Amino acid sequence: MTIARRTVLAGATAALAAAPLAAPRAQKAVTIRWWYHFDDPKASPDALVAAFEKQNPGIKVQAESIPWGGGGDYDTRLYTALIAGNGPDAAMVKFQNMSRLMEMEALAPLDKYIDAWGAKADISDDLWKLHRAPDGKRYYLPLQYVVLYLYLRQDWFAEKKLALPTTFESFLTAAKALTTTDRWGFGLRGGSGGHDFWATFVLGGGASLTKGGLVSAPALAANTWFIDLHRTHHVTPPSAPTDGFLQTVNNMKAGRTAMTIHHIGSANDMVAALGDTITAIPVPRGPQGGGWTTYGDGSSAVFAASANPEAAWKWIAFLSTGEANAIFAKASAQLPVTTSSLKTWDAQPRRFIEASAASLPIAQVLPSTTQTADFTRTVWPQTTQKALLGQITPDEMMKTFDKLYFG
Amino acid sequence: MRRDAAIPWLLLAPALAITTVLVLVPAAQTIWMSLHDVVLFRPRSAPFVGLANYAKALGDPVFWAGLLTSVIWVVVSVGLQFALGLSAALLLNRHFAWRGVARALIVVPWALPSVIIGLIWTWMLDFNLGLINELGLRLGLLDHPVAWLSQPGTAFAAVILAVVWQGFPFFAVTLLAGLQAIPGELYEAASLDGAGGFSKFRHVTLPGIAGVMTTALLLRMIWVANSLDLILVMTGGGPGTATQTLPLHAFLTAWSGGNYGQGSALAVLLTLLLLGVVIAYLVRSRRT
Amino acid sequence: MKTKRLKLLFGTELPVVAILMFALVPWGWMVLSSLRPEADLTRSPLQLLPDTLTLANHIELLARTSFAQNLRDSVIVAAGAVALGLLLSLPAAYAFSRFRFVGRNTLMVQFLAINMFPVVMLILPLFVLLRQFGLLDTYFALIAGHATFTLPFAIWLMTSYVDGIPVDLDHAAAIDGATRWQVMRLVILPLTLPGLVAVGIYLFIASWNEYLFALMLAGRNVRTVTVALQSFIGENQIQWGLLMAGGTLVAMPATILFLLTQGRLVGGLTGGAVKG
Repeated sequence: MTIARRTVLAGATAALAAAPLAAPRAQKAVTIRWWYHFDDPKASPDALVAAFEKQNPGIKVQAESIPWGGGGDYDTRLYTALIAGNGPDAAMVKFQNMSRLMEMEALAPLDKYIDAWGAKADISDDLWKLHRAPDGKRYYLPLQYVVLYLYLRQDWFAEKKLALPTTFESFLTAAKALTTTDRWGFGLRGGSGGHDFWATFVLGGGASLTKGGLVSAPALAANTWFIDLHRTHHVTPPSAPTDGFLQTVNNMKAGRTAMTIHHIGSANDMVAALGDTITAIPVPRGPQGGGWTTYGDGSSAVFAASANPEAAWKWIAFLSTGEANAIFAKASAQLPVTTSSLKTWDAQPRRFIEASAASLPIAQVLPSTTQTADFTRTVWPQTTQKALLGQITPDEMMKTFDKLYFG
Repeated sequence: MRRDAAIPWLLLAPALAITTVLVLVPAAQTIWMSLHDVVLFRPRSAPFVGLANYAKALGDPVFWAGLLTSVIWVVVSVGLQFALGLSAALLLNRHFAWRGVARALIVVPWALPSVIIGLIWTWMLDFNLGLINELGLRLGLLDHPVAWLSQPGTAFAAVILAVVWQGFPFFAVTLLAGLQAIPGELYEAASLDGAGGFSKFRHVTLPGIAGVMTTALLLRMIWVANSLDLILVMTGGGPGTATQTLPLHAFLTAWSGGNYGQGSALAVLLTLLLLGVVIAYLVRSRRT
Repeated sequence: MKTKRLKLLFGTELPVVAILMFALVPWGWMVLSSLRPEADLTRSPLQLLPDTLTLANHIELLARTSFAQNLRDSVIVAAGAVALGLLLSLPAAYAFSRFRFVGRNTLMVQFLAINMFPVVMLILPLFVLLRQFGLLDTYFALIAGHATFTLPFAIWLMTSYVDGIPVDLDHAAAIDGATRWQVMRLVILPLTLPGLVAVGIYLFIASWNEYLFALMLAGRNVRTVTVALQSFIGENQIQWGLLMAGGTLVAMPATILFLLTQGRLVGGLTGGAVKG
């Protein structure tokens, strides 16, 4: 896959560079610093930088790769640099950074650039809506995305003649039927990042992040149902309370779980291990028909302290345009935001792309507030683990969340 | 000896200079931050709040639970590291053909970065794919696989095991160097007096390395008390807050949460606690 | 003679083997994993011995990532930290060990107190300071940063080793007409060789394994192995093969360093030095 990917990258970038250049204006050469992170340490944005610089002779891009380190390291490095006055001109950012960056007043609003942007129609309205900041302005430019869906072993489903789970009820039935002595129906993620699982079943099952919405009767019922997956029905492995991304994915690959939730970023990996036996469908929907799945954003931002915001904008706009966007998304193993690229996207088997697209209508994000940052990082894992271990009741768990968000 | 009085200060000057500039100044800033409401993302508004951060910290049950966890963590892991390290030092002090290689290999656990140690142990303890469960099952020591990191008791034992593995070479090397200062004649004289192995250990070896031992224990205790790398990587403080020591709590509050005011207060409290323990330890060991 | 050999085997060598096994089995498992295809690692049930051995992970690590340069950067920083640390701690240890002066105890405890401070708190001010002097992302920045948090421990450790040298030797040399400096250079220094080795190894390893400073104060021109290893842990993937290969290599420099210097850990240096 790596070699094929690199050939594709090289070929596509060559085609891109050969595209007719805009008439160069006489400008002084400016250098913009851009921070990024790719999962694959062999993937490099060098070809994209070269293509961009060719199209924009007055601008040099200094790309610096910052280790992701579970997210904490990248964010910390970014915040510290911005505070110390040594931040980059532009960087890859996520919604989880938005509240912090806005508090620091570190972001440059992009509205005027976006309005005048020729390629803006190539990004769907749904995505534009998701990327608007709470104050109505646009600071984030969509760059790439993933949507969480449900992986499942269609061979086991076929073997037991089970219907693919589209509701919570059919999900539980399937999970129970697929649990045997050395296999579990559902790889639950109780460790860091598992709040997405919780959101699917609880926020998608009747709870809402509004005052009183976390402790209403349907909310408590949905949460108890979720905890019961582990404590009552035992359809999850005993390690579920602390399983993180690595464990849930590995358990699936090793054939120990029948279903789990993740996104297209792991699709090729899964297929390499499981071939045609693995497929994906949108996550099941709640009893009232509502549903929730997490939209995993990847965005670009320009920082207010930048000396060359327009040049920085040009670079990030380039990354979100047509072919460049496709090349970038391939390098980072995510989906491009440009509708044109998505139509012919083939970096992963088609069924995963379709599952992602079909999940967009229920794709949502937690509010970009500081409480959410605390929630996802410490409050959710610690509280949920205690509930999964029986140290507190599910209702107490929801009350803790309610207290965090609404005091 | 009048002129001599300047000499120690001259000798200490470079070390003092570096530590003052690079440590004491930021340390003073930390104390300042602990008295204000400083949040990383609101650098412009930092109102003075006096001891409010401290009151909040001490009134939080998570603090006291973290303190208990820290105490158990330090006492058990340093004790085990010391015992294993001392044994290794004594053995590696004897003469055998491949002694050099053995000595070199003993530092391997210590020479690995925490991220690698955390990953490797987490993986060995993995429920489905871990070496420990696999070996346990094959050797008949386990009936069924154990979710080591998902239960509070075994998770704590696991992080202690990992840090003992990482840290015992420090004692091995440090104590081995200390053993070299004991003159061989003392052992000869003891043998002539009819002393056996254990008696020689008690009356020659132990007193001989007492100073180094005390220092090494002290340093390691401080290091372990403050360390959070391994726990962060292996359990993140979980399950729940079962392995959340005080420094980890401070780290998650300040570093991840951005609440530098609160985190600084916790750091200062931690430092004062440790300082108290260290001074008590030093006073006691000076008496013996 | 046979019993002596057996006594050595059972009394010394086998216990050493046991301890070494404890020390090396986890690392050995990592080495083994780095030599097998990544797919093996998610096979259940776990297969202990690999079907195929491959050097692919190591080749990829060294040829396709910057790991070789990262190793070099780490060695440079660690060597600098060792040199600086030994240079500063030996005189300080001599001062604390051989002199009794006002403020001695307070100073010693103050050095310790510095290390009780969570390093994490020191990053931001240090970052600002180094930036003002334009020293970010240089070897100097990391060496200085590492020296600060290793110096206190190094001084304490070294002091305990100097304490182990009988003061009588100082007096004997003084009677022979040596000045303070000559005593330090000709008497103390040679006898503290084991201590220098131990403190040197401590300094090397502490610097080698350090992550926070390396992440925050450097990263582009100077990138240590700890930062490089963390970069293999991504959002949606963990480059397991590269991590295992990296972990195999990263323990080597310190081990080799100790192999070369452990010969200095020989006893009896002070034996017979104070006679008559």
